[in-house]
Amino acid sequence: MRERTARIAGSVALAALFVLPLAVLALQAVADSWSAPGVLPDNLGTRGFDVALRSGRAGEALANSIVIALATTVVALVIAWPAARAIGMRFQPPPTVFVVALALPLLMPSYLAGFGLTEWFIRLGIDGTLVGVVLSHVTFALPYAVLILISGFGRELNSLEEMAAASGVGPLERLRWVTLPSLRPTLAIAALLAFLVSWSQYGTSLAIGGGLPTLPVAMLPFVRTDPQVAAAMAILFLAPCVVALAVVARSARSPL
Amino acid sequence: MSGGLAVTGLVVSPGGSQAPVLRGIDLEVSEGEIVAVVGPSGAGKTTLLRALAGLEKPEAGEIALGGVSQLRLPAHRRRIAMVFQEPRLLPHLSVEDNVGLPLRVGGVAKEARRQAARARLGEVGLGGFAERRVAGLSGGEQQRVSLARALCADPDLLLLDEPLAALDPNRRESLRVLLASVLTARRLTTLLVTHDRTEAAEMGDSIALMLEGSIVQHDEPSAMFERPASGVAARFFGISNLLRIPGGPPGQVWAIQPEHVAVGAGELTATVVESTYRGSRVRLVLDWQGQRVEAMVDPAEAPAAGALVGFTLPAERLWPLPGDASTGSRTPAEDAGQR
Repeated sequence: MRERTARIAGSVALAALFVLPLAVLALQAVADSWSAPGVLPDNLGTRGFDVALRSGRAGEALANSIVIALATTVVALVIAWPAARAIGMRFQPPPTVFVVALALPLLMPSYLAGFGLTEWFIRLGIDGTLVGVVLSHVTFALPYAVLILISGFGRELNSLEEMAAASGVGPLERLRWVTLPSLRPTLAIAALLAFLVSWSQYGTSLAIGGGLPTLPVAMLPFVRTDPQVAAAMAILFLAPCVVALAVVARSARSPL
Repeated sequence: MSGGLAVTGLVVSPGGSQAPVLRGIDLEVSEGEIVAVVGPSGAGKTTLLRALAGLEKPEAGEIALGGVSQLRLPAHRRRIAMVFQEPRLLPHLSVEDNVGLPLRVGGVAKEARRQAARARLGEVGLGGFAERRVAGLSGGEQQRVSLARALCADPDLLLLDEPLAALDPNRRESLRVLLASVLTARRLTTLLVTHDRTEAAEMGDSIALMLEGSIVQHDEPSAMFERPASGVAARFFGISNLLRIPGGPPGQVWAIQPEHVAVGAGELTATVVESTYRGSRVRLVLDWQGQRVEAMVDPAEAPAAGALVGFTLPAERLWPLPGDASTGSRTPAEDAGQR
């Protein structure tokens, strides 16, 4: 009995650790006035969301961030796939030199990368565009995608693909019936990380995007000047991540 | 059903390795024939099957099935199915969907695919298993599913790569019986790779012995056991006696199986060096004029080590090894040194 109580108490404490900061954020977002030393706001209202959506361009920023994150995820996975396959089918686990080389771009501060790319993108005429921002985000999403996808390829998948080929199953059906189901959990996690890397990019978005608002770029000015608007934006910022996480949790649940 | 398989001068270096694993394989398999390919580990048996299935690219040679060259065909376009040493089932599909996998490509309707899969499952003794997940099946059942899948492809050539190797003795025996009955009933042109010479003799219409990437002898099972082409072939088939007979042609080596050496009487005499009890038989090692002779005798008549015994080498059981086979002969002293 005591053990059960302890377990429940532990679970509640753990849940509180995740839920409390969110609850404070949600309260802050709807606190039209909250004077010290009050534990709860004096007035609740939607001013935070109203300002965010009107003067903060949160709606546009949200739409941009979703489009950019989804496009970054797709481009990163398409480029990562052949690279991960080539490495993973041959070396398992991959040699350290590959891992280090692939991770090198992650060591660079994102604003520096964005600064370097801006010069080049201006010449290409894609600075300040969605395409430009997506390409700059891919720089950071790609290493994660390749490193994670490598673990999905290997001898076991190779043996199943060989079996399918020897059973008369052609390349497209092999992809449909063997490769994709086998890689599903790995693919889902790689996609989630690519999405989140893009979603939280600030430096490159600011350097490349110019006037193009994304959520982190739109939110930052409000953090000091108007915490209620910043909190409202943070809630908007969080919602797509929760959806992405739920989709991935579902995809990763039925591995081979 | 089309004609048989003809392999000529096949050279394969798997994965671009420098030394070829297959060094000029020549092999003929008639339509409906079951050829058992035997040989020690590393001889190239699996590489041969993989090359036939299109999973390894040959550097030279020809593979023709029913008179049609297979070399330019990718694996999935060859009318060749393969059962691997491990079942290689897709865990996210049911048993029935695993078996019906080869029919997903031919535009076969779902119902027809289901019926075909269930028929093949019945054929391998898994009639009620269609809806099951593969995860709950035993090793033997999984290998039956993989056999049913290969049959579902309706191949012109079936390749079996040690399909019984990973099973325990009981399951191995029951799957061997099933495999033999399915192959006999279908008269499928089949290449069965095994390292077990007894299994090869039981299941193959003929046996091909592979050594170091070449087929050194391909003949009917009795010939492989009684008329080996070389000392190494003789040893692989359990003929441990490779003897020079005093008064016979100089340099000629004769092969005779231990079971055929008659101990107890006869004009020849030898000293018993070793006498090992093996259940129903006793294995004797004799020293005959410096040559090592193995014999199998009834436990009740087995002499003890050190005894002087008479024996005969029946002329009709002696097989003269072709060419210079002297390397296969061992003396009792050499034998002791090896151990």
